[in-house]
Amino acid sequence: MAARVLQHCVRSLARPSLRLTSGNLAVRAAAVPAAAIHRPLSFAADSRRTRWLGQSQIPSVGVLCRQYGDLPPLTIESIKDRVMYVLKLYDKINPEKLQTTSHFMKDLGLDSLDQVEIIMAMEDEFGFEIPDAEAEKLMSPDEIVQYIADKKDVYE
Amino acid sequence: MFSSHCQCVIVELSDMAVTRLPHAALSLKQFLQRQKILGIYRNMLRTIRQVPDEGDRKYLRDWARDEFKRNKNATDQDAIRMMVTQANNHLEELQKSLALARS
Repeated sequence: MAARVLQHCVRSLARPSLRLTSGNLAVRAAAVPAAAIHRPLSFAADSRRTRWLGQSQIPSVGVLCRQYGDLPPLTIESIKDRVMYVLKLYDKINPEKLQTTSHFMKDLGLDSLDQVEIIMAMEDEFGFEIPDAEAEKLMSPDEIVQYIADKKDVYE
Repeated sequence: MFSSHCQCVIVELSDMAVTRLPHAALSLKQFLQRQKILGIYRNMLRTIRQVPDEGDRKYLRDWARDEFKRNKNATDQDAIRMMVTQANNHLEELQKSLALARS
């Protein structure tokens, strides 16, 4: 009874190792315990090898390593593109006049309420809060990009 | 003559509340008041973000924007203080309704 359970365990262990190490018969045979009971098992495992190698590798890899999800890494270019995109969507800004160096108040003729709205839109876009003291100093798209790169540790 | 003097004073005082002019043109009290008002506007927008329905959110954002812009050029100190108190009350009301809706 115990022997049968052990056979089953070794079989299930041997299966992923068969898929990952597509070579070494000697290694596989060595991995299997050298008891007399398990010798026929190793032959059976080898004969199943050809069938198993045909199957997809994904389940076994999933058992042996972890996968995490995350956003794609930010670059200064991507931050700049997103900032300019959000600004172009803002109805009070004329898209033709918008440059990365244009000052909100002096060049684009916005007032401080509009600037607050713009910074809120940036917070929504990038998903993190910008405190009041620092938000009121950001007066051009360039400064916003610099600030976000600062906060998100994006270097070039 | 008196009326023209009044007008000069009013023109000077119109650099108040929300403005495009550089900060050096404001006195310290006006500057602090301006910062407070911008802070209220920001808190209002942050609270409005939490409203569940998108249509309601847009309506509230437009309402807040109109209210603040309409009174942008107010000059009377008393009126300004009253409006600031009103804005705070609105904000509190909104926050309480949201808390109730969430529970």
